[in-house]
Amino acid sequence: MNFSTDVQASIMAILPEILMTVLAIAVLALDLVWSRARRRDLGYVAGFGLLAVALIVLLVGGPPGDETSDQLLLGGMIRHDTMAQIFRVMVIVAGGLSCLLTMGVSRLNVRGDFYAVLIVSVIGGSLLSAAADLIMVFLALETLSITLYLLAGYLREDVRSSEAGLKYFLFGAFTSAIALYGLSLLYGFTGETNIYRVGRALATGGLGDAPVVLALGLITVGFGFKVSAVPFHFWTPDVYEGAPTPVTSLLSTASKAASFGVLLRFLLAAFPPPELLGSLENVQDYSQLWVQLAVVLSVVTMTLGNVLALVQTNIKRLLAYSSIAQAGYTLIGVAAIATDRSGDGAAAIAFYMFMYVLTNSLAFGVVILFANATGSERIADLAGLSRRNPGLALAMTLALLSLGGIPPAAGFVGKFLLFRAAIDAGLVALALVGVVNVIIGLYYYLVIVKVMYMERSPDEDQPIPVSTPYTWALGIAAAGVLLLGTILVTPLVEWATEAAQSLYVLL
Amino acid sequence: MNINWFDADYLPWLIMLFPLLSFVIIVLFTARSRIVSQFVALAGIGIAWVLSMVEFVKVVWASDAELGHEVFGSSIDWMTLGTRTFEMGVLVDPLTAYMLLMVPLACLLIFAYSVGYMRSDPHYSRFFAYISLFAGAMLTLVLADNLLLLFVGWEVMGLCSYLLIGFWFHKKSAYQAGVKAFMTTRVGDMLMMVGIGYLFIVARTLDFREILYNEEMLAHLASTPAVIFGGSAAALIGVLLVAGTIGKSSQFPLHVWLPDAMEGPTPVSAMIHAATMVSAGVYMVVRMFPLLSAGADFHAGDFSAPMIVMGVIGSITALGAAILAVGQNDIKRILAYSTISQLGYMVAALGIGAWVAAAFHLVNHAFFKALLFMASGVVIHAMEHGQHEAAEHGDEHLHHEPEQPDGLVMDYVPPANDIRRMGGLLDRIPVTAITMAIGGLSLAGFPLITAGFWSKDEIIADAWHGAGEGYLLALLVVLCLLAAAVLTAFYTARMWFMTFWGAPRTPAAQHAGIGSFRNAWVRSRWARARRLEGVAVSHQDRSSALWMEVPLIVLAFLAIFAGFIGVHTDFPLLGALDNPLHEFLGGTLLEHPTAVDFNWLPVLASSLLALAGLGVGYWLYGLRPLGAEDADPAEQALGAGIWRVLENRFYIDILYRRYLVRPAEWFAVNIVIQAIDKETIDGVLETIGEAFVWLGEFFKRFNTIVIDGVGDGIPGAIGSFAGWFRQVQTGRIQQYLLYVTLALLALGALMFIQIR
Repeated sequence: MNFSTDVQASIMAILPEILMTVLAIAVLALDLVWSRARRRDLGYVAGFGLLAVALIVLLVGGPPGDETSDQLLLGGMIRHDTMAQIFRVMVIVAGGLSCLLTMGVSRLNVRGDFYAVLIVSVIGGSLLSAAADLIMVFLALETLSITLYLLAGYLREDVRSSEAGLKYFLFGAFTSAIALYGLSLLYGFTGETNIYRVGRALATGGLGDAPVVLALGLITVGFGFKVSAVPFHFWTPDVYEGAPTPVTSLLSTASKAASFGVLLRFLLAAFPPPELLGSLENVQDYSQLWVQLAVVLSVVTMTLGNVLALVQTNIKRLLAYSSIAQAGYTLIGVAAIATDRSGDGAAAIAFYMFMYVLTNSLAFGVVILFANATGSERIADLAGLSRRNPGLALAMTLALLSLGGIPPAAGFVGKFLLFRAAIDAGLVALALVGVVNVIIGLYYYLVIVKVMYMERSPDEDQPIPVSTPYTWALGIAAAGVLLLGTILVTPLVEWATEAAQSLYVLL
Repeated sequence: MNINWFDADYLPWLIMLFPLLSFVIIVLFTARSRIVSQFVALAGIGIAWVLSMVEFVKVVWASDAELGHEVFGSSIDWMTLGTRTFEMGVLVDPLTAYMLLMVPLACLLIFAYSVGYMRSDPHYSRFFAYISLFAGAMLTLVLADNLLLLFVGWEVMGLCSYLLIGFWFHKKSAYQAGVKAFMTTRVGDMLMMVGIGYLFIVARTLDFREILYNEEMLAHLASTPAVIFGGSAAALIGVLLVAGTIGKSSQFPLHVWLPDAMEGPTPVSAMIHAATMVSAGVYMVVRMFPLLSAGADFHAGDFSAPMIVMGVIGSITALGAAILAVGQNDIKRILAYSTISQLGYMVAALGIGAWVAAAFHLVNHAFFKALLFMASGVVIHAMEHGQHEAAEHGDEHLHHEPEQPDGLVMDYVPPANDIRRMGGLLDRIPVTAITMAIGGLSLAGFPLITAGFWSKDEIIADAWHGAGEGYLLALLVVLCLLAAAVLTAFYTARMWFMTFWGAPRTPAAQHAGIGSFRNAWVRSRWARARRLEGVAVSHQDRSSALWMEVPLIVLAFLAIFAGFIGVHTDFPLLGALDNPLHEFLGGTLLEHPTAVDFNWLPVLASSLLALAGLGVGYWLYGLRPLGAEDADPAEQALGAGIWRVLENRFYIDILYRRYLVRPAEWFAVNIVIQAIDKETIDGVLETIGEAFVWLGEFFKRFNTIVIDGVGDGIPGAIGSFAGWFRQVQTGRIQQYLLYVTLALLALGALMFIQIR
């Protein structure tokens, strides 16, 4: 296994990060140059800038050439494959939508530094999607996390925001430290930092289960925190509720998507199923360890997330628990990837995350608009929304249907793919638990729809205005959710399947 | 993907997209603004028309060397179910191209006409949304490359026709007519759906390319025995598909909905009867003809089962409806029966294999029938205006207007539609009168100069040829169609003369008008007519007339000239036009159809019969125009008994009402609701209910002792679990970190136990 040293390919491999760095600097510079009134438009620069980068990645961000061996670049730090591309696109889109959503938050929308930090956070997420080295994984993870701690506590004068930032920081630092210990154990066992080399060395090293379990368990804490899997989820509701809502949106979308992206790559590369290693002999199989771990985490995560969501009265907290449950569904796919060699499992995760990023951005967008107009985040106050702004109610309904998994929203296809992958991988019981959970989840999603449409409110004569950036953000997200559930299903599934297959080629 | 959307393969997507887009835009965004909605609808269909013309030119251009041997189209994967992938796509072959020449143009003209006609309607925007959807569905149907997508368009149109016929839903008769249309066509649709399903089972595909352009597939279908009734699968499928057409194109015995569909606004009638709905039925059988005729060598007199069904049904319908049209007094209902009759011509033509002729007549008929309907709409408008003015002038007569009945009544004719109350309208709405005369002549098949003549003549020539070979089916067709031709000419003449000729028979007719003043000649004629009658010339709405009359004029041109592309090559003089249509359309079929040899006899026969019918009409109604008190000469000639039969439409509607609808209602009310539901099921349920009440009492006692200790069942358990777990979420970060550590330890312990 050699690392490619092609300069042009290396630059292309980190092109999105380069572009976004330029964008962050440009936003900072404009912040200095523009007048205060003008700075309201910074969100357009950052938001559409990121969306443009996403488009560029979509168009030219694919892997170089046909030779998979050329994909390991920059000293093995980065693997530039289709999986990296698809996750980068969704992370950057999520960042762009968050920027647009920020434009409605009065104390943030004139601050170039906020947008710059947000963009850096997206850079972290984007790098994470492609990271192929223990050091790179940790660096990217921290780039993503530290900026998010900042963003969560950005409204310093708001007690809830400061508290959220601090809590998030403490929790994150704690879990990162544990995960770092796990990563360094891996290095200690193998003497390698590139995850593909780590995988080979582990498989042939004859270590036995116990040390590997130790390392795997410690690392799980780090990733579990990032994707907010139970029992590492405690921060989620508090931080989601306290952080500025655009940041919550980013937390629940970009951060989660990037973490799942690296989780897939990391697990398959560092603890590979032996068949993937080809000609090596005396290989030990550690993959079943993380499959079991994923099964357990998946079951408790989705069950607890759904059950706790049932009793929430605050819409942001409800969405927090909902996002925990969604992470649980996604873990079903993680459990499936080790045995399912066709790539359906990984493809299902990629599809699921893609639609989830758009769906959650849509839901949070509506929540921000509603909170700005009424000052309330209570579910009961959503009553009569269908009369105050039918379009907004419709968008929220679409998002909720997608989260609940009802066609024609994209969530239906995503859940279908996940459950199918689980059944193909022989995890029928897990799929059944998933289905039961979907049914529980439907209850609280549909209750919100009921409140919006059926219940009356005395404020019905006060319409809720939608500003231009929100029209853009909600329009893009809603169109995405709808199209991914209907005519774009096949293209995206094909793309995700291609990406998934690249994941199974261990270099 | 790199797609040039203006490529002939992809352009059809855009054609059907725009009217559908108009529908969405109007419904979601512009419904509040009448003007914007109107222009969105016009723009949608206008763009579709322009694109259709581009597509048409491209198709003809590309197949320049050998007209019509190329098929354009593209498809995308729609959904993958198991191992089957359903594709959705478009296809443009010569037949589709020919339809593209007609459908968008007719729709565009109807839209423009609607701007004038619907002007004062309170639900103006909604009307344009519906007709946009209607047009979009029709284009989808025409452009579809598989039977499934065709059926989607077909059903959307069914829905639209229901919505539009019942557009004035506050009128009981209107919504009843909507329901009647919907339910009647549904009978055909269900059979058609069964046919499509069976086709899919046998062929494993619904794609036209793989079925109609594939000789092996057709042979396979023709040789597979059907599951029931003997015969081949192709025959069974064909008959089922024809059933769909019988419903959609209003053929006997499912023709009853169409005359009542006149309850809708007049542009809707034009939509349904000309450009879209009824054409769709014939288009479908024209499209599926290779399948319908599979395995039968009809040139040698061996007709397949679907063809026999079409031949017989078409002939009966053509003749029967023409007879009924003679006995109607509602101007729109005359046209409705005339439509049924003309569709019968096309279906009968397909029955004997006259494929090109059927398609030819389909398009020509669409043009002149749209013209006739829209002209009749102007007449009705003029009459309503006249009634209004007559009432203002305090003329009597109005007291005798029959009350609008409650619901559909067989022989009720709205006063403004009643040709017995008209007369003398020629001076009042001359543009309409002349264009309607042109449309009428085309319908009657006036020799040489009208489009209707050429296509009708071609059908009769083909049937004549078949009859000459001694085929019974062709003999039946030719006899029925020739008889129908005389009647067609007669009732057309009767309608026109009673409407426009002579002196006004009522004050309403006297005051009728739509005020078309732009043309000096028209104005002077109108003013003179009013002065002669001593009526003051009043100001009238000028703007709507333009919107209504321009489409009429355009269609009048088409009603004349659309026929020249299909003149038989051996016809003297005009044959020099070289019959491009036959060559072009023929390319659609696998086996290029041979044109029958030119024969003078059918041409002479149909010309003479048409002239005879018109002549009798003129003799009865034109020579001595009907006065206000005169009885209808046709009624006198036929006798009151027969006339009653005609007015009651052969009693078929009454028969259906008495033997199908009423028994169904009786069955629903007495058997299902009363006997089964109320007595049997409710009885059983009540018994069960009582048992459970008893059981419940028992459990209640049990409950207070045992269950209450556990809680209120699982939901309660979930809730209380959630409530309990919520306690964990204290908000204290120290506790959280402690939990994480404990969780890590627990997880580690679990896994170590596992690997032991």
